[in-house]
Amino acid sequence: MSMQEWVALALLIAGCFFYLAGTIGLLRFGDVHSRLHALTKADNLGLMLVCAGLAVLAADWRTSALLVLIWLLGLLAATVSAHLIARHARRDGK
Amino acid sequence: MSQILGLAVLFLLLNLVAGLWRVARGPTAADRMLAALLFGSTTVAVLLIMAEWMTMPALRSVALLFVMLAGIVTIAFFGLPAGDDER
Amino acid sequence: MLSSHLIDLVLALGMVVLALQVVSERAVLRSIILFVVFGLVMALAWTRLKAPDLALAEAAIGAGVTGALMMMAWRRLLIINPREPADTPRGRSRVAIPVALLAAALVATIGLSALFIDPPTDTAGRIALDEMVDTGLGNPVTGVLLLFRNLDTLLEMAVLLIALLGARAISKPAHPNEAAVVETGTPLVGALLAILVPLSILISTHLLLAGTNEPGGAFQAGAVLAAGGVALVLTARLQPGDRPGVIAQVAVTAGLVAFIGIGVGVMAFGETLLVLPDTWAVYVIETAMMVSIGLTLVLLFAGAPALVGRRT
Repeated sequence: MSMQEWVALALLIAGCFFYLAGTIGLLRFGDVHSRLHALTKADNLGLMLVCAGLAVLAADWRTSALLVLIWLLGLLAATVSAHLIARHARRDGK
Repeated sequence: MSQILGLAVLFLLLNLVAGLWRVARGPTAADRMLAALLFGSTTVAVLLIMAEWMTMPALRSVALLFVMLAGIVTIAFFGLPAGDDER
Repeated sequence: MLSSHLIDLVLALGMVVLALQVVSERAVLRSIILFVVFGLVMALAWTRLKAPDLALAEAAIGAGVTGALMMMAWRRLLIINPREPADTPRGRSRVAIPVALLAAALVATIGLSALFIDPPTDTAGRIALDEMVDTGLGNPVTGVLLLFRNLDTLLEMAVLLIALLGARAISKPAHPNEAAVVETGTPLVGALLAILVPLSILISTHLLLAGTNEPGGAFQAGAVLAAGGVALVLTARLQPGDRPGVIAQVAVTAGLVAFIGIGVGVMAFGETLLVLPDTWAVYVIETAMMVSIGLTLVLLFAGAPALVGRRT
């Protein structure tokens, strides 16, 4: 495997690790707010690392730009979604 | 490299399956919606990896759509009255 | 490769388990969320089956708009008939699983028997793929939808219009606050909309134009437009109105009118009915269809004959 593939592999593995961390947080934390916290942060970081790894693998600026766009949108959507879910949970009295 | 991509997809899918437990458990509605958010994010990653693995660039457009729609379903969820779930 | 088999196995089992849970779960909100998740997994299944057009459509319509629609419907039911958290039904319906398994067995029988039929050598699909070279289009799905079987697509547009008229006929006049779920002052939502709505217009245009050569097309583009419109309705930027304006009425019927107009118009030039002259006709019809589909879906979502800008 070339250098490019090694770098992409490292980034992908790191990304998958963060997704695992997010899932563990979802299953193990005790409160909806802490689960929200763990999940959003870990998943977005995982998405960034996965997108970075795939961009390195693709080595094509159009694909990389699209991947960056998808990551940024994912960040935006996850932020607003987390905020709305937390507000809803607070209305519940939690 | 291709095999590693396949393994990554499998790993993320197993994460998804694990998240189903939280949808079943709850206890609040926000918990279930939160797990659905996990699914959306994981599915985006799976689609992006599959775009490379199966060489189907169109899957990146599908990932883009998913990201857009995650926000919309959450906004709709926000409208549900508080307390709509068992404790 | 072993991992691809395992992936397909996980997806297939996941879909079956999710489907059984959606059907048998008594608590409605849980069912709805499971349905959205099911849509996600199904979109992944379509990608594994190498059908990106279907994955696009499933993502936009199945997971997104339908999920939001069901949550809105549940919300309105709760407004009419409020219930305490203690009243949430628990457990699973006993009848649902056997019925679902019976229906699944029926579908499986039909599907499996189709697998064991020897396909004839001269199928319509093969002929269509051969003819694709002459059409100038790169995407066989668009070729089938708009050139070879465009009568079906035309009738689908008519069905969509009839559905809208039917919904209009039986719905009450809309209360402006019923469709919106987010108070206008909620932070962050405005920022999301400021990016999502223009992006949905951009992406739908891209899908429309790319649909002739890559996965995409009018239905997917219309669904993305509808998603942007649904976001506006949910956040009270667009509110239900009473009387549709001229533009709305034209937009809703544009797809059907364009299709019939061009399809019948070619007869004046000696061609057979619905044989489209060239790729420009495909572009015109697809654009009109995209606008109609998008607007119809948003109107059906809002449950109103028309949409007006925010009045507050």
